[in-house]
Amino acid sequence: MRPLSLRASGIDEHRIKAAPNHALLTGDGDPGTAVWTYNGTVPGPVLRLRQGDPARIVIENGLDEDTTVHCHGIRLPNTMDGVPGLTQPPIKPGESFVYEFTPPDAGTFWYHPHADSLVQLGRGLAGALVVEEREPLSVDRDFLWMLQDWRLTKDGQIAPGFGNMMDAAMSGRVGNIVTVNGAPAAEQPARAGERVRLRLANGSLARIMALRFEGHRPVVIAVDGQPCDPHEPEGGRLVLAPAMRTDIVLDMQGDPGKRYAVIDDFYDGLAYALATFAYDAGPPLRAHPLDAPLGLPRNPLPEPDLAKAERQEIVLQGGMMGGGKLTGVGGMMGMATPGMNGMAAWAINGMSMTGDGHSGMAPLFTLKRGATCHLTMRNETAWWHPMHVHGFSMKLLSRNGAPVPHRQWQDTVLLAPKDTIECAFVADNPGDWMLHCHVADHQMAGLMTVFRVT
Amino acid sequence: MKLTYRLAALAALIATPLPAFAATINAVMYKNPSCSCCESYAAYLEQNGFKVDIKPVNNLSQISGDAGVPADLEGCHTLMVDGYVVDGLVPVDVVRKLLTERPAITGITLADMPTGAPGMGGEKTGTWTIYAFTKDGKAPTVYATE
Repeated sequence: MRPLSLRASGIDEHRIKAAPNHALLTGDGDPGTAVWTYNGTVPGPVLRLRQGDPARIVIENGLDEDTTVHCHGIRLPNTMDGVPGLTQPPIKPGESFVYEFTPPDAGTFWYHPHADSLVQLGRGLAGALVVEEREPLSVDRDFLWMLQDWRLTKDGQIAPGFGNMMDAAMSGRVGNIVTVNGAPAAEQPARAGERVRLRLANGSLARIMALRFEGHRPVVIAVDGQPCDPHEPEGGRLVLAPAMRTDIVLDMQGDPGKRYAVIDDFYDGLAYALATFAYDAGPPLRAHPLDAPLGLPRNPLPEPDLAKAERQEIVLQGGMMGGGKLTGVGGMMGMATPGMNGMAAWAINGMSMTGDGHSGMAPLFTLKRGATCHLTMRNETAWWHPMHVHGFSMKLLSRNGAPVPHRQWQDTVLLAPKDTIECAFVADNPGDWMLHCHVADHQMAGLMTVFRVT
Repeated sequence: MKLTYRLAALAALIATPLPAFAATINAVMYKNPSCSCCESYAAYLEQNGFKVDIKPVNNLSQISGDAGVPADLEGCHTLMVDGYVVDGLVPVDVVRKLLTERPAITGITLADMPTGAPGMGGEKTGTWTIYAFTKDGKAPTVYATE
């Protein structure tokens, strides 16, 4: 419980320590996998904040290297954004940093390091951050799956080889074990007739997922924490790239005693069961599905003024070839693997910013505070990129020229190879903000930029 | 470009004694599910008397590392053929040389994805060095240049 004095002051305080520990990721027993944790567990504890209430998150660094924490998707002051060098000095081993902000939006977010991101995320540092609505949605259960992907060796330890050039220049360090809330493909108890809200968060380094719910019809009610018009995903398949969150409502209309798999079939020929809903044998909770509305109240996002928008375009370049054409970095067509010998493998508008963030990163463009930015993102590469904007949620306007339906706002937008996305946001939050691919290898190898709001 | 490969492959085929290659050679290719050049390379091998079983994997660098391929010499896929590892877009005449000579090595690799290599587009520029590697920690040696 929180100390009374803190409650009385109206500040919701949480303390989290990043430190090594062991975790039972494979279910194979002791001693488990050596991982890096928040408060001893993978994923870290679910941080529950309340919309509009000031929060204080104290992060203590128990690692042997610098870290920071980025509260992904929260629209917060720039100095609380957790990018080392750019928005704060890194938290040195043994030191602490206090993140203070008042979350303006309710929804499903997450927190993770932004220092040595590839290694720290890949060793397990991630946790969900839920900002609760003032009025909860009418469901029987509200639960969360933090999905993490691990590349383990045969003896169940984190595989070495972070930053491998082939990973960096292709699809990133995709692993060989996926966990749900830190456990291997688990049975999820279900009861016929209940209505559940399932918050899905992909905390993987690089694995893109496409989830199908056997025998069920998921309804998407929020994307990246932002409520949208409730809708069923195309083909019943939910695509969830690294760092993306999707809130769905499931009416559990399966048969008592039966089991229904949740399948991830994103990669051709590599489908697997992520989880299984196991219905208890009891009678249905109710005879007919609830008819309560599924829509969530909107968050206070400023509406872009497209007529007066400032247009910006970013072009994603580089990576290994696909379809017989190699687009090199910086216009090079070439022999060497992009990313070899620590070279950049990727670029945005011909410029490769590598690493996790550092001071003196020159902004690609500058926006006047309050202006609407109409941002076009063009993927010239042969690979998928979930592009994450810090500090803002972007309203999706179009994908490859077709309007994006369901009023979707996202902080992480997935671009398929050769996709062009148009989106817009109001630059109401001053500071230098990151815009990068959330495949950690891609970010580290150059798929990152910075823009400034004055 | 494809024509150039075929002619080169044909030349290699003519230049090599045929009986050794009369039978189909089975191979297993591990590749990234999203990389298409590897599929072109597999098709090229099949045109040259191989039967290639393609296995998409997400942890290719782990598989090639376990197979002994030095991390700085990785190609874009890993092929297991007749007891050897053949990594990357190695021309078929070099693969045949390996299977004929049967040296005491783990495998051979053509690093990166050079323009003009089988499976890639473009014109060949410069010399390709195909390295032999072992699993005993010794430095890779040059196996062939093309």
